[in-house]
Amino acid sequence: MGTITAKSQIAPSELQAKLSSGEDVFVLDVRAENEYFDWPIDTSERVKTLNIPYFLYLEDEESVMARLPKDREIVVVCAKGGASDYLVQELRQKGYDAKNLEGGMLAWSQIYDVKRVKEASRGRTPFDLWQINRVAKGCLSYLMGSEGEAMVVDPGRHVHPYLQLAAEHGLVIKHVVDTHLHADHISGGRRLAELTEATYYLPSADGQDVTYPFTPLNEGALIRVGESAIETVGIHTPGHTPGSTSLLVCDELLLTGDLLFVASVGRPDLGGMAERWIHDLHKTLFGRITSLDDSIHIYPGHYGDAREFNQDGIVTATLGDLRTRNPILQITEKDRFVEEILGGMPMQPANFSEIRRVNNGVKDVTDAEATEMEIGPNRCAVSE
Amino acid sequence: MSTTAMKTVDCRGLSCPMPVVRTKRAMDDIGEGQVLEVVATDRGAINDLQGWAKHAGHEIVAWNEEGGNLRFYIKKGN
Repeated sequence: MGTITAKSQIAPSELQAKLSSGEDVFVLDVRAENEYFDWPIDTSERVKTLNIPYFLYLEDEESVMARLPKDREIVVVCAKGGASDYLVQELRQKGYDAKNLEGGMLAWSQIYDVKRVKEASRGRTPFDLWQINRVAKGCLSYLMGSEGEAMVVDPGRHVHPYLQLAAEHGLVIKHVVDTHLHADHISGGRRLAELTEATYYLPSADGQDVTYPFTPLNEGALIRVGESAIETVGIHTPGHTPGSTSLLVCDELLLTGDLLFVASVGRPDLGGMAERWIHDLHKTLFGRITSLDDSIHIYPGHYGDAREFNQDGIVTATLGDLRTRNPILQITEKDRFVEEILGGMPMQPANFSEIRRVNNGVKDVTDAEATEMEIGPNRCAVSE
Repeated sequence: MSTTAMKTVDCRGLSCPMPVVRTKRAMDDIGEGQVLEVVATDRGAINDLQGWAKHAGHEIVAWNEEGGNLRFYIKKGN
């Protein structure tokens, strides 16, 4: 039998540090099966997860305990940290090294993992690029830096990770961009721009109902970071939203927002006009995107599972790679594309119309309300 | 419906897992086919009581929400 460590709690940041360092973790998720399948904590192979709802333990302690390892740490997870803590206290009395994930999935949804993208500093125009991953939701955002200046793209609701990263590297955030009006999470863009006095950009077609001022991000918009180093050009890529605009950086990489992911593409149905937006989506993917060079590295706004990471833990692939690997990019024929995508749309993200209202500036929410509103995975892709 | 309940469990103000923990204990004290009334305020109880009842072989015969109170009627299985 293993030793029981003194602590009965594990902070979300500690769990993230373990996962980030490649440590194997054993997770006991005690939520009801439907909640677990909707939103598992991690899908990578290094995390072994067992889903046993806590109420099964109430009915039959023995058979639940028989399924748990006694020789390793068990991280117990539930929605808000209540049921998991109850179980942790029980299991520890029985000799298991159980630890409660403090605050449960709600707290886990606020964790951001920051990874440096090494390729960016090896290109023709070297610069610093970080992919910031809101792990619980699969939301990706970016910070690019050069010559003391920085640009942030699609920041999550919590502005602290971006402020901290910029400060650590002596960068002043000058530009904050939302590639589109988000429906799966509350954007931190406006707040981050206010705090840093940066320029805030949003595509004008997505800003029609927006109640606050922004700088339009449209086709051909040129944003420079640093005196000469990073040159970013807006490319209008409608489909997920009418305004969706990708950013071509130094002709070498493309931040695609929610247009194109590694294993899927952005869904066209979150604005209530799927029949119209899907035509844009097809045209963009097989017109505008096809005209770009295969060697361009794609950096998307989301991922669905751990298979979309490369060996450095970054979610990216070259466009050439996606043309052969991405299943949706294989459906070139338009009628079939429309039929397959509209016919097989997965469940929509939780509270997506309310989230759009918050991002439009029409609705105000407290921090706690925002956290509740953002539960669940991003669900922005047309396939799961 | 409430007139047929043998017993009421008041879980108002309690958060997860206590509504299910208390309901389970109360259920142990009533007989097969009898109905337990549960009042709760934690919305997580909706999914959890349903999941628990299904696993434990009980039937939620009705539930409603009124003025922030969730009321469940659960029939004990065998």
